[in-house]
Amino acid sequence: MATLTSLAVEAPSTQEHVSERTPTARRAVRRRPRWALWTALIVLGLFAFLPVYWLAVTSVTPERDAFTFPPRLFPSTVTFEHYLAVFQTPAIFEYLRNSIVVSTITAVLSVAVSMYMGYAFSKFRFRGRKSLMYFVLSSQMFPQALLLVTLYVVFAQAGLLNTYQSLVISFTTFTLPLCVWMLKGFFDTLPDDLIEAAKIDGAGPWRTFHSVILPLAAPGLVAAGLFAFVRGWNDFMFALTLAGPEKQTLPPGLVNTYVSEAATAWPELMAASLLVSIPVCAAFILLQRYLVGGITAGAVKG
Amino acid sequence: MTTTTIGRRQKKPHSSNVRAARLSEVRFIVLLLLPGTALLVGVVLYPLLRSLASAFFAESLLYPGATWVGLQNVIDVLQDGFAELLSQTLIFTIGATIVPFIVGLALALVLNEQFRGQRFLRGAFLIPWLIPGVVVSFLWMWIFDANYGVLNGVLMQLHLIDTPIAWLFNTDTARGALIIAKSWNSFPWVMVMLLAALQTVPGELHEAAAMDGAGPIRRFFAVTWPHIAGVAGLVILLEFIWNFQHFDTIFVLTGGGPAGTTQTFATEVYDTAFKGYDLGHAGALGLLWMGLLLILVVVYVRFSERGEK
Repeated sequence: MATLTSLAVEAPSTQEHVSERTPTARRAVRRRPRWALWTALIVLGLFAFLPVYWLAVTSVTPERDAFTFPPRLFPSTVTFEHYLAVFQTPAIFEYLRNSIVVSTITAVLSVAVSMYMGYAFSKFRFRGRKSLMYFVLSSQMFPQALLLVTLYVVFAQAGLLNTYQSLVISFTTFTLPLCVWMLKGFFDTLPDDLIEAAKIDGAGPWRTFHSVILPLAAPGLVAAGLFAFVRGWNDFMFALTLAGPEKQTLPPGLVNTYVSEAATAWPELMAASLLVSIPVCAAFILLQRYLVGGITAGAVKG
Repeated sequence: MTTTTIGRRQKKPHSSNVRAARLSEVRFIVLLLLPGTALLVGVVLYPLLRSLASAFFAESLLYPGATWVGLQNVIDVLQDGFAELLSQTLIFTIGATIVPFIVGLALALVLNEQFRGQRFLRGAFLIPWLIPGVVVSFLWMWIFDANYGVLNGVLMQLHLIDTPIAWLFNTDTARGALIIAKSWNSFPWVMVMLLAALQTVPGELHEAAAMDGAGPIRRFFAVTWPHIAGVAGLVILLEFIWNFQHFDTIFVLTGGGPAGTTQTFATEVYDTAFKGYDLGHAGALGLLWMGLLLILVVVYVRFSERGEK
């Protein structure tokens, strides 16, 4: 973690060196084989983007073109019938509603819980701080399939199977390490003087946190919330097992609706897949400004 | 008399104020930490310990009650194809760690060069990582499809294969197919991490090495690698830990098949608990799994502690 945060600090110093380059040295470095660069870029680009192309193209390929062999890399005509078919499947809207409800509540709860924890880790020194931080960090390294076994039994006993609660409780907990770390990083950048100043002005610790610190950390709260949202949106294993048919979210819902051993409706599934991916990509575009934060937080991602 | 009382009176409120202030700060910190800690204990620590404890009981998901059986479950699991399960898990884990590392490193080096459109490409190459895991599984299932799959189509038109291959249903190809699908999903993360690390390589070192006549490959090992080795180690370790417990891609793409050759700890524990309803053996598998994972987590903690110094 620390190594990565220091990267961002060190980065500007390299730019100073750039200006000191002597012309001869610059030429020496420039004499790199550009063709190697372009070849590598094309090969890697094909690996990365051909599947994306296939996802998009299949979703607009007419049925008769999709189920021919060898497959047509370019469809004879472009059709949006598969998207229409997805929108005419009532079950999809139920899954969509469940996904939105679960992910949104997860995001709100996760931020609400992790902001307090991140603040405590950032601005206070207390006994057991380090141990607790390591506990938070390592909690996401435990195998979730194993946790799921007991959680299923516990939620069954509590009558929470097939409810939003079981998913929201699980997802909120699993996003904590990432969100706590992100928010701790944000609070670290705020000067301690702010707290002192608020104290001198007579504000209690809660007031200081809620009306002085939190407004300044708003971008961090949004970023953490979006990450938590995406975690809930993308989850498959817990949603598949705990949610039951009625509260199922989109990922297991799509498997149930489209994937079958006999005949999978590929073009329709690709259309639905693309639609499911859009909110995630949109969230990330919104997050791009915090990409550096995302990278460092990525090191603790589960 | 009067002076001492006054003195005491003046002193007493002061010291109790300090103590009260300290007490209220302790209470404040405890309250800050309470909800998060409660969730982690209730949803991670307790389930983990209870799952592990069930290793020592004959316990079913269908009926209540548990009977103590000692180490019998662990012995059963160890004797029932544990070596295969471990080696299959390791094959997937190592493959799905190395492939994205190589692709991500190559891409980071390419995108670290100055050229037009480099900024845009840095963003575009993130797409495979942004796509939800299940969609990644669907997409590769379709690409690997035996009847209409595009991979078979392209390979046959290039005359690399004569007949279509059922990539996901063939014991020779299923593991490789899984590794490719998972790698496609995770290489952008490696790329982002290594690109950040590459920013720390001082430009003048490259210049000096180039003036001394070192070629690009030589310069990579002599100049670049020492600067990014720390982050690279962290990336490999984390990828390894995550892949060691990866579930989604395997479950959707092959479901552990064909003939159980792609089962890993994650899918085996899941199947034992939710398809075999056998919590005892699932717990025993989990116990062995956790033991191995714990070694990795200790390494990770050591690693990040070292980085902090």
